[in-house]
Amino acid sequence: MAEIIKNEPIANGIYRMSVFGAPLGRAGQFFMLRVPGALDPLLGRPISICEIDADKGETTFVYQPIGRGTAQFAALLPGQQIEAQGPYGNGFPLKGGRTVLIGGGIGTAPMLQLAKELRKSDPARKIDVFLGFREEAYLEKEFESYADNVTRNIGGYVTNDVDFALDATYYACGPSVMLRAAAKAADEANASLFVSLEKHMACGVGACLGCTCQTEHGRKRVCKDGPVFDYREVRDAI
Amino acid sequence: MPSNPLKLTLCGISLQNPVIAASGTFGFGHEYAEILDVSRLGGISGKGLTLNGSAGNKGMRVYETPSGMLNSIGLENPGVRHFVTHEADYMRALGPAVIANLGGHCEEDYLEGAHLLNDADIDILELNISCPNVKAGGMAFGMLPETAADITQKVKAVSRHPVMVKLSPNAPDLVAVARACESAGADALSLVNTFLGMAIDVKQKCAVFENVYAGLSGPAILPIALRMVHQVAHAVTIPVVGMGGITSAEDALKFLMAGAVAVQVGTMTFADPKAMLRIIDGLSDYCAQEGLDNLQQIVGIL
Ligand SMILES: Cc1cc2nc3c(=O)[nH]c(=O)nc-3n(C[C@H](O)[C@H](O)[C@H](O)COP(=O)(O)OP(=O)(O)OC[C@H]3O[C@@H](n4cnc5c(N)ncnc54)[C@H](O)[C@@H]3O)c2cc1C
Ligand SMILES: Cc1cc2nc3c(=O)[nH]c(=O)nc-3n(C[C@H](O)[C@H](O)[C@H](O)COP(=O)(O)O)c2cc1C
Ligand code: FES
Repeated sequence: MAEIIKNEPIANGIYRMSVFGAPLGRAGQFFMLRVPGALDPLLGRPISICEIDADKGETTFVYQPIGRGTAQFAALLPGQQIEAQGPYGNGFPLKGGRTVLIGGGIGTAPMLQLAKELRKSDPARKIDVFLGFREEAYLEKEFESYADNVTRNIGGYVTNDVDFALDATYYACGPSVMLRAAAKAADEANASLFVSLEKHMACGVGACLGCTCQTEHGRKRVCKDGPVFDYREVRDAI
Repeated sequence: MPSNPLKLTLCGISLQNPVIAASGTFGFGHEYAEILDVSRLGGISGKGLTLNGSAGNKGMRVYETPSGMLNSIGLENPGVRHFVTHEADYMRALGPAVIANLGGHCEEDYLEGAHLLNDADIDILELNISCPNVKAGGMAFGMLPETAADITQKVKAVSRHPVMVKLSPNAPDLVAVARACESAGADALSLVNTFLGMAIDVKQKCAVFENVYAGLSGPAILPIALRMVHQVAHAVTIPVVGMGGITSAEDALKFLMAGAVAVQVGTMTFADPKAMLRIIDGLSDYCAQEGLDNLQQIVGIL
């Protein structure tokens, strides 16, 4: 159980919620969030860690109320409780050297904590961030505290802005069209790319096999073995 | 020391309490063992096994519905041999009673599977003739009394383990199937498996699942499952293990009062991984409040 510290819109149809008391995870991991005791909606909703403030013991999520579960979250007030089960999933591998982060829409959320951890692991490294939005940008300022460059694209294809030929590690999270475009570009440039996948989930812990995908090494669970994969391994699942 | 009021015997196996993790919702125990004290459970029924394993169904596999969910996993599993060599001993070490859930596509699969399971240290074989999500076999065996009795009798002849037959709520005459399984030698019955349901994506104008139909579970099915457990428990003398939408100790008590000696919990574990521990604690409290020496005293009081 975690306590809601803040829960407010940061853009049209986008909310940011900070909670206290959830176990601290790392970039790329997620929580199954659920209104305590609710039987309808019943299942937790997978929501990525957007930022962790370890000193305060706070975890921040950025989410889009698109259905019944997430709409319920948007109605929660500071001081109320939320069930935050997790952190689940493998998280992003923190590679050395230059890094390029690509986020599309709500997929920008997990990239923020990644930028933070990459910066912390190496204050001198170069971090380029590319953010793509359909209509309105968010989190741009927050990224600026950790990245060397933040490029945003509204209404276009963010992957077109990215040079995949750098000697760098690429990380991407966003809609499938974006991930497919990134994979194609990474193929052409022979780049190293990690993608975070999304699947409908029931348990979030690897027990129900509701979220498995075909990989080069047999079937894997997006919730437990992922959600972050080397794109080459999950080419057919993107 | 006062004796444990929750303990019971099922198929000659002693269980510390009547709360069992339902097949397909608990893997083989690994994942939830990281999150909760699984040694406190009464039993664990492992993921449904098929002889040679399966990659399961394509497309969407889980979809939430009002107070429930539809699944079309399609028995993705590593196969009986893998279970025998890699999972059975792990499950045994966890502590709770070990139940292997065996599905199949044809009679030979079931019999060969049951034969291989003779090499595993399990307590009960749960014969799954009720999976709605596999194209061939699966639920087909559980739809009619004749086919259900036939496969039960043959598996009984092969298996050295007690056999608990898991029934499908989709059978046109569930009570007749239950009686037939009892006559064929089943040691116990478990019910219900999931109800065949459907979901449609109105925007895309298509069925949500590639198999079109999928299995419904969770609180939404509880009243129907309860009625079925009540009917079956009154029709047979072998023990009945009840399930379907249980979320709380109160729900578990309903199934016990309806005639089940134990319960299984599935979907609720997804929503709240610790639900079964809450249920066990709630049942203990109930015994204390009601002054029961053993919870089994309320079994079938209705
Ligand atoms: C690993 C992971 C991380 C995620 N991180 C975020 C995040 O940080 N912010 C955010 O806004 N969203 C995130 N999502 C998507 C988010 O989980 C869904 O938008 C949310 O579950 C929708 O629930 P709902 O009740 O509002 O919608 P409904 O459509 O009513 O949901 C019905 C069911 O479908 C599932 N579902 C619907 N859409 C999705 C989807 N896109 N992905 C997975 N399940 C879905 C729900 O979980 C629920 O079980 C993430 C998804 C995954 C898999
Ligand atoms: C994702 C999922 C997978 C399941 N897999 C199996 C299975 O492999 N074998 C089986 O006998 N039942 C399987 N079931 C059925 C459950 O064991 C149980 O009978 C059913 O879900 C009703 O209980 P519940 O409402 O508590 O979930 C599965 C159910 C779900 C939700
Ligand atoms: S959501 Fe259950 S295995 Fe991934």
